[in-house]
Amino acid sequence: MMAGVQRVATSVVSKPMANQAKENFGTQALGEVIISLEAVGVRYKRRGGLLRKPDYFQALQGIDLDIYRGETLGVVGRNGAGKSTLLRLIAGIIKPDSGTITNHGVSVSLLALAAGFDAELPGTDNAIFSGMLLGYTRRQVEARLDDIEAFSELGDFMHQPVKTYSSGMRSRLGFAVAMYMTPDVLLLDEVLSVGDKEFRKKAEAEMMKKLHSDQTVILVSHSEAQIDRVCDRKIEL
Amino acid sequence: MREKEASSPGLVNPSPMPLVDEAAKWAMEAMRNQQWQEAAQRWAVLQHAYPDEAMVWIQAGICHRQLGNLAMAQNLLESAVERFPGRPAGILELTEVAYANNDTSRVAALLEQARERFPNHMPVLLKSAELEQRLGHPADAERYNVQAREQFADHPQPWVQYAELAMQREEWSLALSRWVEVRQRFPEHPAGYNRAALAAEQAGDVRHARRLRLAREYGQKWLESFDEPSQTEKQALDDKISPPTRRHWLAFIDLIWTKARLNLKSEASQNYLRYLWWVIDPLLYMSVFYLVFGMLLNRGGEGFVAYLLTGLVPFQWFAKTLQQTSNSIVSNKGLMNQVHISPLFFPLVGIVQNSGKQLLVFFMLGIFLVFYGLPPTVHWLAFIPVMLVQLFLMAIFSCTLAMLVPFVRDLTNLIPTGIQFMLFCSGVFYSASIIPEQWRSLFFLNPMANILYQYRLILIEHQWPDWQGLGWVLLGCLLGSVLLFWLYRRVESVLPRVVIE
Repeated sequence: MMAGVQRVATSVVSKPMANQAKENFGTQALGEVIISLEAVGVRYKRRGGLLRKPDYFQALQGIDLDIYRGETLGVVGRNGAGKSTLLRLIAGIIKPDSGTITNHGVSVSLLALAAGFDAELPGTDNAIFSGMLLGYTRRQVEARLDDIEAFSELGDFMHQPVKTYSSGMRSRLGFAVAMYMTPDVLLLDEVLSVGDKEFRKKAEAEMMKKLHSDQTVILVSHSEAQIDRVCDRKIEL
Repeated sequence: MREKEASSPGLVNPSPMPLVDEAAKWAMEAMRNQQWQEAAQRWAVLQHAYPDEAMVWIQAGICHRQLGNLAMAQNLLESAVERFPGRPAGILELTEVAYANNDTSRVAALLEQARERFPNHMPVLLKSAELEQRLGHPADAERYNVQAREQFADHPQPWVQYAELAMQREEWSLALSRWVEVRQRFPEHPAGYNRAALAAEQAGDVRHARRLRLAREYGQKWLESFDEPSQTEKQALDDKISPPTRRHWLAFIDLIWTKARLNLKSEASQNYLRYLWWVIDPLLYMSVFYLVFGMLLNRGGEGFVAYLLTGLVPFQWFAKTLQQTSNSIVSNKGLMNQVHISPLFFPLVGIVQNSGKQLLVFFMLGIFLVFYGLPPTVHWLAFIPVMLVQLFLMAIFSCTLAMLVPFVRDLTNLIPTGIQFMLFCSGVFYSASIIPEQWRSLFFLNPMANILYQYRLILIEHQWPDWQGLGWVLLGCLLGSVLLFWLYRRVESVLPRVVIE
C-alpha cells in the first residue's frame, strides 16, 4: 500500500498564548512533562516467515513528543497514519521498535468502549466485567451500576442480553461504563461519536468536561475541526 | 423575482392595500443585505403609501445615514420626530447622525431631550450610558446602565451593556464576572459566551475561552459544573477511579474468576437445557463407554470400564482445556489492543472455565464408581491434591502453548495430533504394568501418565498415591511456572503486535 513512506511528526504548538497565564482563571502554563517520546518508531511485519524475507510496514517513525500534565493534545492524521498505534504506545500496550518512551510515573489508559462485551450476557454483567477490565475493582463498578444504568438510559434493556441491543445502545452502555475512569492520562480514540444524536450530545458534554478539567487528555480524531475546537495543542502524523 | 412579487400588490394593483408590516419586509430585506441605496428607494416608495407610519421615515433616515447622506438623513429623522412626538426612535436615530458628524455635544443635547420626554425608556438609557462611556465618564455610564438594569431587569440588553462597558475599559476580569451574570439571567444569549470568550482570551486564559465557546453548545449548567461540582459529582470526585499502572494480583484473579463465571453463564444461556448439559454431556459420554466396552465387546476383563473411565475422564479434561486455550491469545487480539492486560489472562480464563465444568464430571464419575461396585474409601481424600496437581500441570501446558501459538500459528495444526499422541502415551487404555520394566521410568516421565496412574491408585486400587511421583510433577510445574511468568512478562508488550501481524 504505502510501503516505506516515511512520516515525520511535526509537533506544532498552536497556541503561543498558552504561556501567558494571568490572573486566576485556572492556570494555563504547560505543566511538567509526564510522558516523553524520543525518536519513536514502530513497524509491523506484513508478511514473511521461514522461507520468505520479511516485509515490514513502517507505521510510525521518528516521533518526538512531550506530553504535559493537564493539557489536551489532539492528534490528527489520515487513515493509516499511525494514530491508533501512537495511542497504544503511550498506553504501554505495545513497545516501540526504535526510540524510547519514558513514563514519569503516571497511569495511562485508553478509553475503550464496550471492551470485552459478551453478546449473550445481560448489560449488567457486561458492565461489571468491562469495568473491571478497564481497571475498576469489582466493588467500584458495582457501586456505580445504578449510575451507569441511568446514564446509558437503557432502562429494562440493562437486564437483557447485549445481543438484543442496537449498536447505539451498545456504545451507550460502553460509554457509561468508561466515563467514570479518571486515569492521569486519558486516551480517546474517536469516541466522541457514539449513539444517537441526543446521547452523542450528552456523551460529548461529559467528555468535554474531562477535556476541560485538569485531566490530561490525548484525543485522536479524523475531524480537524473538532480538534481545533477542544484541544490546547495538536500534532499531525 | 421576489421584488416583483412584493411590489406588485401595492403598486400595480391598487385595490387591496397590503399591511404596512408586509410591505416593510420588502424594504427591510434590502437593509438586511446592506443594499442601502436600494433600501432607501424602497422606503421612499413606502413613504408615499404609508405616510402615517413612523417606521418609514426613520428607516429611510437610517439608510441615508449609511449612505453618507447625513443631511438627508437628518431631514427625514427630524420630520419623524415632528410628526410622531410620542416615539423616541427618531431622536435616538438622530444621535447616530450626530455621531457620524462627530458632534458629541449635539448627541448629548438630543439625549437630554430624549430623557426629558421619555424618562423611562430603555434605549434612551442605554444610549446615554454609551455616550458617557465615549466621553470618558465611566461612572456616569455605569449610572445610566444601573438605571436601565433596575427598570428593565428582564431585558438582556442592559446586562449585555453592563458587561460591554467593562470590556471597553479592558477590565477583563470584571467583564468576565459580568458575563457570568448575563449567562445566569439569559442562558440563551450568545454574547454571554462569545463575548466572554473574547474577554477570557484577552485575559490570557485560552482554555477558559475555549470552554466558554463550547458552553454555547452545552449550556450554562455544563459550564457551572466546573466551578462548583454538585453534591453527587463531588462524591464521584472523592472516590474517582484511577486505574493502577499495573493491576493488583488480587484484582487480576478476580478478573479471571469473573470472566470464567460469565463465560459459563454465557455458554449455558445458548442452549435450551442450559446448565443441565454439564451433567448430560459426561453422562452420555460415560454411558457410551459402558455400552461399548462393558456390554457389547465385554473386553479387557473384570473392571475394565472403571479402569478406562478413571483415565479417560481426567484426560478429557486435559485435552479439552488444551484445545480451548491454545488459541486464546490470538482470538482475543482485539481486546489485547484495547486494554492493558497481561496475556496470561486469556489461557487462565479457559482453564478455570473448563475446571468448573469438570468438577461436575468428576462428581458423576464418583457416582458411577459407586454403582460399579467401587465404593469410596478414605483414600478418595487424596483425589483433591492429585486433581490440583493436574490443574497446575494443565495451566503450564496451556499457557505455554497459548504463548507460542501467536508466534508460530502453524502449531495449531499440530495440537489435535499432539493430544492423540498424549492419549496413547499416558496409559489411558492400558495399564503401566504391561510396559517392560526398562521402559517404565521413561513412560512415567510423561507427567500425564504419572497423574493418571495416581488417580487409579486412589479410585480403583484404594491406595494412597505415590507421593514421590506426584512431588516430581509438582516440582516440574513450579519450575515451569517461574519460567513462564518470566517469559510472559517479556512478551507482554510484544504479543499485542504479534497477534495482529
